[in-house]
Amino acid sequence: MTDVRPPAPRAGSRDVPGGRGVGARLPRKEDNRFLRGKGQYVANIRVPGMMEVAFVRSPVAHARVRGIVKPAGMEGRVFTMADLAGVRPIVSDSGLPGFRSSAQYPLARNKVRHVGEAVAMCVARTRAEAEDLAEQVELDLEPLPVVADMLQALEPGAARVHDHWDCNVFLDTLVDDDLAAVRANAVITVKRTLRTARQCMAPLEGRAVLACPDARLDQLTVYTASQLPHVIRTGLSECLGIDQGRLRVIAPDVGGGFGYKAILLPEELCVAWLAMRLDAPVRWIEDRFEHLSTNANCREHAYEITGYADAAGHLLAIDCDAVVDSGAYSMYPFTACLEAAQIGSILPGPYKMQRYRCHTRSAATNKSPIVPYRGVARPGVCLAIELVMDGIAREAGLEPHEVRLRKLVRPDEMPYVNITDKHFDSGDYPECLRRAVDALDIPKWRTRQAAGEPDGRRVGVGLAIYCEQAAHGTSVYAAWGIPMVPGHEQCLARFAPDGTLELRVGAHSHGQGLETTLAQVANEVLGIDPARVRVVLGDTAMTPYSTGTWGSRSMVMSGGAAASACEVIAGRVRAIASHLLEAAPADIELEDDVVRIVGTDREMPLAEIARVWYREPQRLPPDVDPAGLETTMGYKPAADTGTFSYACHACAVAVDTELGSVEILDYVVVEDGGTLVNPLIVDGQICGGAAQGIGTALYEEMPFSDEAQPLASTLADYSLPGATEIPAIRIAHMETPSPLSTFGQKGIGEGGAVAPPAAILNAVNDALAPLGALVAECPVTPDRVLDALRRAGESRA
Amino acid sequence: MAGKTTLTIGIEVNGEQVTHAVEPRTSLADFLRDTLGLTGTNLGCEHGVCGACTVEIDGAPARSCITLAVACDGASVRTTEGLADDPVAEELRAAFKAHHALQCGYCTSGMLVTARDIVMRLPEADEARVRVELAGNLCRCTGYMGVVNAIVAVLAARSPHPRQDP
Amino acid sequence: MKAPAFAYEKPDSLDAALRLLADAGEDAKPIAGGQSLGPLLNFRLTRPSLLVDVRGLVEMSAVGDSHDHLTLGAGTTHAAIEDGRVPDPANGMLRHVAHGIAYRAIRNRGTLGGSLAHADPAADWLSVMTVLDAEVLTATAAGPGVHAAAHFAQGPLATVLEPGELVVAIRIPKLSTRARWSYFKVNRKPGEFAHAIAAVVHDPERDVCRAVVGATGDAPYLIEDARPLLRGFDPRWAADHVSAAGLDAGSHAHRVHVAALRRAGAQIGGVQ
Repeated sequence: MTDVRPPAPRAGSRDVPGGRGVGARLPRKEDNRFLRGKGQYVANIRVPGMMEVAFVRSPVAHARVRGIVKPAGMEGRVFTMADLAGVRPIVSDSGLPGFRSSAQYPLARNKVRHVGEAVAMCVARTRAEAEDLAEQVELDLEPLPVVADMLQALEPGAARVHDHWDCNVFLDTLVDDDLAAVRANAVITVKRTLRTARQCMAPLEGRAVLACPDARLDQLTVYTASQLPHVIRTGLSECLGIDQGRLRVIAPDVGGGFGYKAILLPEELCVAWLAMRLDAPVRWIEDRFEHLSTNANCREHAYEITGYADAAGHLLAIDCDAVVDSGAYSMYPFTACLEAAQIGSILPGPYKMQRYRCHTRSAATNKSPIVPYRGVARPGVCLAIELVMDGIAREAGLEPHEVRLRKLVRPDEMPYVNITDKHFDSGDYPECLRRAVDALDIPKWRTRQAAGEPDGRRVGVGLAIYCEQAAHGTSVYAAWGIPMVPGHEQCLARFAPDGTLELRVGAHSHGQGLETTLAQVANEVLGIDPARVRVVLGDTAMTPYSTGTWGSRSMVMSGGAAASACEVIAGRVRAIASHLLEAAPADIELEDDVVRIVGTDREMPLAEIARVWYREPQRLPPDVDPAGLETTMGYKPAADTGTFSYACHACAVAVDTELGSVEILDYVVVEDGGTLVNPLIVDGQICGGAAQGIGTALYEEMPFSDEAQPLASTLADYSLPGATEIPAIRIAHMETPSPLSTFGQKGIGEGGAVAPPAAILNAVNDALAPLGALVAECPVTPDRVLDALRRAGESRA
Repeated sequence: MAGKTTLTIGIEVNGEQVTHAVEPRTSLADFLRDTLGLTGTNLGCEHGVCGACTVEIDGAPARSCITLAVACDGASVRTTEGLADDPVAEELRAAFKAHHALQCGYCTSGMLVTARDIVMRLPEADEARVRVELAGNLCRCTGYMGVVNAIVAVLAARSPHPRQDP
Repeated sequence: MKAPAFAYEKPDSLDAALRLLADAGEDAKPIAGGQSLGPLLNFRLTRPSLLVDVRGLVEMSAVGDSHDHLTLGAGTTHAAIEDGRVPDPANGMLRHVAHGIAYRAIRNRGTLGGSLAHADPAADWLSVMTVLDAEVLTATAAGPGVHAAAHFAQGPLATVLEPGELVVAIRIPKLSTRARWSYFKVNRKPGEFAHAIAAVVHDPERDVCRAVVGATGDAPYLIEDARPLLRGFDPRWAADHVSAAGLDAGSHAHRVHVAALRRAGAQIGGVQ
């Protein structure tokens, strides 16, 4: 990583030499175990007597289940929905009017609705034997007409995914407006028809579940590779019909989440049920074939978007019809409509406009149920509006950044309420764009473009700027009416007698480094060495309830909760210290593992306070707070409209018009994530997110046949970017603190993945513009580039 | 069925000779993980593409997911656990930590085996070569920035002729 | 993704291996590095009753050097070729190609003979051995066999090998010192199977100028007389050959293969 310009004075930066608190570039505490092969992923947990499950999955996308024949003599090792009688289906409804409800049984009942839907569960001593057994189960399936495509699903007369629905739409939303005047007056009209492919999120670790009965506690312990163990416990309890107290859900080390592990799984229900039925530990480990053939479950959007502008390139209005392929079922807890409805609310991006209309539909198809992937609807939305902005620039004869600068919300307008009632909290969007343009050095590329490449390739530059609402809370989700509404995020903080601190939070970390950053928060408040802070995550028996890690919320919400809990503890420490040091509590400062009377050298180790509370209570003040050095505190920002991080991505590409290939020549990210709690980790999130976005832009696609058969069943076919496909991304930071969060931090975990499709498609189209070609689909494969060139050739012929 | 359906194999794993009966279909990865309990080697794709399961067989990196345990009879295998006291691996671990070369950690064991091979086999490798050599190890979290920087840093530190920055 | 059950033998001589393969019939498969077979087993796309492990046989790693040929044992790994641990009879072409096959961890175990026998149209050695006019030396319990590389593959994943016939070695003509070669492979990522291959070998001393259009989805297509490439690129000539290789004129694949052929021609120093 290289900074693209010398570091400017950074508002809110706390990165001081030797610092270990908020702002410190601290190497991660959790690295040690992973670097020594000690990561405890579900598949690495060994329990004596553990049985293995393999699922029999539907080979077809839509069929009536006429019969399931268990292999003779193996009836006790093969289970169908008939065996799971009493287990309730997964139902995840939105309270938004008109939502059509689906019921997903953990094993198919009556119908299968996508390839890979689990039909039967086989159990054996080893996975290989379970797969042997699964091969012997015979399915009698009566094929039904397949709804393979979201646009086809909406046509009158299309087959129905759910027999009792009147059409294949989970939810229809409309943000309406009168565009007649704008249409009449606009000098520039740019219309784009766009599509993004279905993707697999492809964390390196797949899903995994291990359920172990505990007779003493009358409890089932479910280890699962999940981002939200508490929500899983709630969902399991509701579907299995057992008290939540009889369930303990542990998400141990999780090998990447990205949204893939933020839902209640049919397999979790099955494995939990089977462990109770057999009274034995049972596990299921998703393999890569299952991941690719069953769970391509994100990102598939279609847009018809029109932007209107005046002759000078001022964006006036946006009109959009968007469809999201939501797949066959509504997944718990986010529902099938979250993504499409989000399009309606975030499409305007960081821009001001007079009028805005957006119609969205969440289409049901015979594909796997959609799950919100890093950035959720934003990569598609950013692609849609940013391609329109480039189109306006082209029509107006301006550079792409010039039309953007006309309509970006300015810093003097912050906080700003946009046309869809989003409350932008802080920042300087135009400056972010200018820095990215400078860093990429667009004039340099224009010169190179004019000169032409020696190898005949065509060079182009592209920009994309977005803002990302993160850590938004109760009011926002209550309005969606989904099964899970986040409230206060809580943290339990307590000192042990030796002065080490434990923080327990209900969110989880699957690479984000919360074990380090929450320890930095504790250092910031209590002055304690992060090495003496133990962060406990991912266990319903050990942590306060939480909706988990999603929506780029953990650093704001869990960070805020950890700070609140530490503040309470700090107050009690001061009270005890003031008694022991004989000073006023207000004069006690906590720093570098000591408590000290401000401005003096009278101090004692922080650990001594803990020792006195636990071991020498006779030395405590008579009015000491009996709650001691332990507390659980909740946190919610005063306004729960969310923090808005933002970034501009700028890139240069070379397009080989003969082979259709695209190479990224330079890639710049200028990001404002508010106060950065740990810049090392933030850069990792940005670069990792951008790598996934580059995958979306150029490589990753699950193609489907007309029968909705997924066609890329290996990683040789489903192409994930490697070290040669991801350039050395140059990252620069602005740091405008959020007025809403504890330290000014903003959620940034997802943002990196948002802009690459838009920036790269804009760059490719900039390169192809002289040929009259336009690519409007992701990923930009060689075939799509060659298609675009062919269309351009035909239209000019 | 003609031929043996269970075999007893002898493998040196991380310096210790082990002898076990295995089914021919058992992969080296499953043998290491399930029979020997060496779960530091993770399975990512089980078809040789992702690189998470990379271990050393007779001193050279190999995919343990598509290598049969029976085919390793008489071989010497080293996993991430076996690199615990290896000085080169120790340099790499320190660099991985300093450069934030891991997030979820699932690819890390395979990355370290490959990284060690790059450092030992290609001491002159530049950043572009390091990236090519890493092409067989997928990471879904980091965008490779930290991994590449860490390996380049170790190469530079070990080089008898440190590169001069222009 | 666990392999189905099968039996396994590791014979200590070539004769024993051939007898095992002959006795077991079509359900038996030889295995060397297992880098192509391993994934197929894990996906349960192949179900051999018996695997005969030939990796350790001395014949499989033998190197034979004659005046005008080099013979490489079928068990020679891609990495051994990449590293120059065996001689390169093609003026560096084999080393160059080997470096681009899959990934180092695969190359350390994957073998030349295994790759040829697997006959994936997108794999490198099939095209390279075809353009070099190499021969595949085989053995069965009944005796040895020889197949010209150009006629070895019969289609995707299909070869002339009979049940019980084992690839033992590859005999490769040595290029003269003046010979030039080019190899243009179209793929999006290093190590990926090719989307298009064009290879050209020009050896004036042996009066050879051959080209191959590979990764067509079918067996490689040989252009025995590729001299037109040296005289200047004729798109019509190239397009006709790519069509003859089985690709539809007008398809993107056709266009990309023509481009590959042009670039391979340019690399070898053809007049453009």
